[in-house]
Parts: sequence; structure tokens; C-alpha cells
Amino acid sequence: MNPIGEKYLRKAFLPFIFCPGCGDGMIVQALARAVEELGVRDDLALTAGIGCSAWIAVYTHADVLKVLHGRAIPAAIGLKATKPSRKIVTVTGDGDCLAIGGNHLLHACRRNIDITVVMVNNQIYAMTGGQVAPSTPFTGKTQTTPYGNVEKKLDGCRVAIACGATFVSRWSTAHPKQLIKTLKKAISHKGFSYVEVISQCPVQTGRYLLGSGSPQFNLQWIKDHCVKQEDPAKWAEVEAQGNIPIGDFVQLEQPEFMEEVAKMNQRVKEAQAKGGDR
Amino acid sequence: MKGAEKIDIDRRYCKGCMLCKYICPCDVYELGQERSDLDYLMPRVARIENCKACGLCELHCPDMALTVIGKEKGKEKA
Repeated sequence: MNPIGEKYLRKAFLPFIFCPGCGDGMIVQALARAVEELGVRDDLALTAGIGCSAWIAVYTHADVLKVLHGRAIPAAIGLKATKPSRKIVTVTGDGDCLAIGGNHLLHACRRNIDITVVMVNNQIYAMTGGQVAPSTPFTGKTQTTPYGNVEKKLDGCRVAIACGATFVSRWSTAHPKQLIKTLKKAISHKGFSYVEVISQCPVQTGRYLLGSGSPQFNLQWIKDHCVKQEDPAKWAEVEAQGNIPIGDFVQLEQPEFMEEVAKMNQRVKEAQAKGGDR
Repeated sequence: MKGAEKIDIDRRYCKGCMLCKYICPCDVYELGQERSDLDYLMPRVARIENCKACGLCELHCPDMALTVIGKEKGKEKA
């Protein structure tokens, strides 16, 4: 076990439950390294929903809240509201974040509360056996769409940008160094951070969607199909070739939710001291 | 010049996905004949003299079983 693992994993739960070659283990490592380099371990709290990706939070030796399917973001907002000094990281999957908990993502983005959402996108419902997910590409073959998916895919980064998230980026498991750097930026960013990670799932995505169950093939597919394009206006040309744009897309400074709440409380207290009610 | 003293593969956790062999730019690994505790064929460190201790295999190991120990007085490279 490498020294980061010795320090950051719950040894009683090891070995990882993930299939051989799964990208989730690489994300556990990237998250642990980002936290190690920032030195925020004592303040770290993680929330997770249901899915393979939820295990990322469970294996990390920090405060963990594992909640109902899709409800990881509301739980994170609650944790942040009770103690604003906490660093909250929510680890969700594509089904958890875009389908079952889709509405929570919209409103967390809009609210600009200081949490970090790490969305692990493997383009399929992997834990339940490879059904079609909102992130499955058009004409993609899965267990429930054997003749090809007839729906267009939902792009989480576009949704986050449209809803007003102040930090949006997308990387993949084939770019671990960039991912660590971005996770560090996202955790220290003041405001809602949305980091999407394209991850390989050799067992479900690989076998049914891409055509090979080999971890090497899946990692190479990600390397070939992830193109760095940081300007959202130029995504269309990248996507027209069947590729996925990656990079750090948005980083803005905007009023943060908990700070605004504190300011409002202060305002009301001052007004009440003067005798008014607001 | 940088190099690795030792590459440690933890046989308790290795699942034999061979991403380390695939990702290594210096051709250090090969498929071994030894099985890990989880009954997968493990990679073998065949050509450690090629290793530049870049740490890519460590970052790409999905089971965090790999440790590259750099040459300078047993100091570990990230």
C-alpha cells in the first residue's frame, strides 16, 4: 500500500470493492493527494449517495455521511450550514447527480454555497448492471437500449454553468496530475465547485458501450476521446467529432451563500438594536 | 539522474489490471506468474534500471497497491 493510502484509507474495509481496473480507485487517490497537499484533513467532511462512486467517500478516513440515493448534495448543504468552516466534498456518480438528484444540483449551483461536488461520470448505471443513464451518449448500446440509445446525453458541465456554478471543470482518470491540481483549486475555491471526472468502467461501459472489457482499452479510449478545450463556445466542434471537451472551464468570484446569511443576520441584529424589525 | 530503488507491489490489494504496465513509458513491468492474495496474476518489476521514478504508475494504480521508492536515501517520490 502506498503511503498516501496508509494515511487516508480505512484499512478495515480494504481491499477496494471496485472491479479490476475501475477508475474510482484512482479518484480516491487523487482526492487523498489533493487533501494531503492542501493540509485540510481535519476540516474535511464527505457526503455520498448510492452507487459505485459513493464508495470513494466511504473508503476515505474522514467524516463521512452516506445518505439516500441522489440526496448527497442536500446533506452537504446541511453540513456546511451547521459549521461553515468545514470543507465539504460530495462524491456522486452520474446517475446520482444528474438523474436521481438532478434537481438538487440545479439549486446548489444557483445558491453558490461553498461545497465541492466531484461527479464521477462513467456514462452508464454501472452498479445495477449497465442500464442507460442520462450521460450515455446518443446511439450508445447498453443493457436496456440494445438497439442504441435514442436520447441525447445530458452534459453536467453545461447544466452547472447555466445554473451559475462558480467553478466548473472536467477532467478524466487518464489525467491524474491535472485532476489533483483541479481538486485542490476546487476545494479552496469560495463558492460552489463542480468537478466532473470521466472514469473508466471496464465491466459495464467497456463491455457494452465501447466494445472491450479490458482496462487498458478503456483508459486508452478516454485518452483518445478527451480533448482539452477550455472555451465553452467551442465545445460544439469537439463534440461533433465524438470527443469530450475537458479542462477548467469557469472560475468566478461571486457572493457565497453562508457569508450572505451571516451578513443578513448581522443586518437584522443591527436593525433590531435600533428598534426596527428589519 | 532520478531512478527507483525499489518498486513495491502490495500483494494484499493488487487486482492484476495491468494499468501500471500499460501506462509505464519506460517499459519497467511485465506480466508475472505470481498470484496476489485476491487470486489475480500480478505484474512483475522486470527492468527496474529503466525506471525514472515519474510516479505515473503510482497515480494510475486503482487499488493504491503500488509504491515507487526513489533512489535518494530511501526518500519516497510522489
